[in-house]
Amino acid sequence: MASRRIIYLVLTLVILIPLLRPFKLKPLPMKPVEKLFYYINNLPKDKALLISVDYTPDTEAELHPMTIALLKHAFHKRIKVGVLTLTLLGLGLAEDALRVVLKEFNEKAKTREDSIIYGRDYVFLGWQTPPLVPLLGMGESITKVFPVDYYGNKTDTLPLLKEIKNYRDVGIVVSISGSAIPMLYVTYAQTTFGIKVGAGFTAVSAADYYPYLNSGQLTGLLAGMRGGAEYEELLEEHFGKTKRRKATEAMSAQTTAHITIILLIIIGNLIYFLKRKKR
Amino acid sequence: MKVKFPLILCLIMGIIGMIAYYVPHKAVQNFDNELRNTALRIIFAFSLVLGVGSIIRHHWEKIKRKREFWEYSYVTLISLFLTAFIGLFGGIDGKGIIKMAIGKFSFDIQTIYVNMAIPLGATMFSLLAYFMASAAYRAFRARNFEAILLLIAAFIVMLASVPPVARLIPKLPYISEWILDVPNTAAKRGMLFGITLGVLSTSLKILLGIERGWLGGK
Repeated sequence: MASRRIIYLVLTLVILIPLLRPFKLKPLPMKPVEKLFYYINNLPKDKALLISVDYTPDTEAELHPMTIALLKHAFHKRIKVGVLTLTLLGLGLAEDALRVVLKEFNEKAKTREDSIIYGRDYVFLGWQTPPLVPLLGMGESITKVFPVDYYGNKTDTLPLLKEIKNYRDVGIVVSISGSAIPMLYVTYAQTTFGIKVGAGFTAVSAADYYPYLNSGQLTGLLAGMRGGAEYEELLEEHFGKTKRRKATEAMSAQTTAHITIILLIIIGNLIYFLKRKKR
Repeated sequence: MKVKFPLILCLIMGIIGMIAYYVPHKAVQNFDNELRNTALRIIFAFSLVLGVGSIIRHHWEKIKRKREFWEYSYVTLISLFLTAFIGLFGGIDGKGIIKMAIGKFSFDIQTIYVNMAIPLGATMFSLLAYFMASAAYRAFRARNFEAILLLIAAFIVMLASVPPVARLIPKLPYISEWILDVPNTAAKRGMLFGITLGVLSTSLKILLGIERGWLGGK
């Protein structure tokens, strides 16, 4: 009992201190992240990026920076963006990510052309259920599946959706989720319509997604906080410094926590072997 | 009839779903689209009524019978009605039919969500770190060869996620990627094949009425 309390106290400190005072880190972008980044970076002008915000508040810390980084990337490159969610709780998170990124971009904008404008540069389609309806329906017509957007506008009146009609006009859909929703995109959207799919997920689910990357069904992956930080690193390399890098900042706490857990495993094993020797 | 009708309906719908996947004829596709885009959505709308009804009934019963922790049921019910009221009448940014703001402070649905739902959800999930650390310390032992292999793999993958270590030993992240990409993928694929075959056989059993658990085991 006492050892558990010590572990909890040590862990609290090693997470809290770097969270309050993050130290400088330079993540090394790996192939799965690079693949996704460069695929989006090289999207043709007439193709859109569809971001599916499929996570809930519990995984916000790990997955929200990915959505923000993807939005920043798209707006830097002037790629048209469609945001949607297949989970009801994703609505508030998607709205929050859009507000954060739009503020950053529109504060710097001097003309209307520089600004990121709703309906012209991006749309927020909202939520639709059951998942099968948007997953298959968007292959036929996006406006049919989402007759009104999140803000109550008729989608067939939005200029962006006059150009982006269905999956054929979408370069890639990136599903960010703490559950198995990216697999649904692979099973239904990718298999039926051949659309490219990228995935962002929590680090504990990483092992589940590698077979799909290996088979080419997923174009790229963002695995956990590290994936988000690597994406932010690539963004900075290509587009210069941004206001905040939330994933990279949080990596400080994750770094110290990982080292602590490794040390705890080593200590635990040492005690185990010493006790076994005594017996 | 109470059992036969749902079984026949399940079989017909299952066959339609399968045919639509393999037959690209326009008539079949149009029918499938209509079924999916209209009928399925209506059915799901009913599930919302069922869900809300069920949560109200459950907590109301709990309060009435003063079951364990019945006081918390008040919190659930008040939160449910208050959030629904704010969402329905205040709109997304508090500028709906009823203005949801006192002075400069807006208590719209997005404000509630960002300041309450997100921190509460994140707090629950963050507790996982403590369980993981405690479990790693007490249970992760090099007891046999398989456990040693698991420990080595875990060490490499964890250390590779630490940027200073990854910069210090540049080969480490690549070894970690290899572990995930080759042995992990091989094992996962085997499992996936097994799971998929299981799902397929269970689906067939449901369609043919052999498996009737969804009918309450009748």
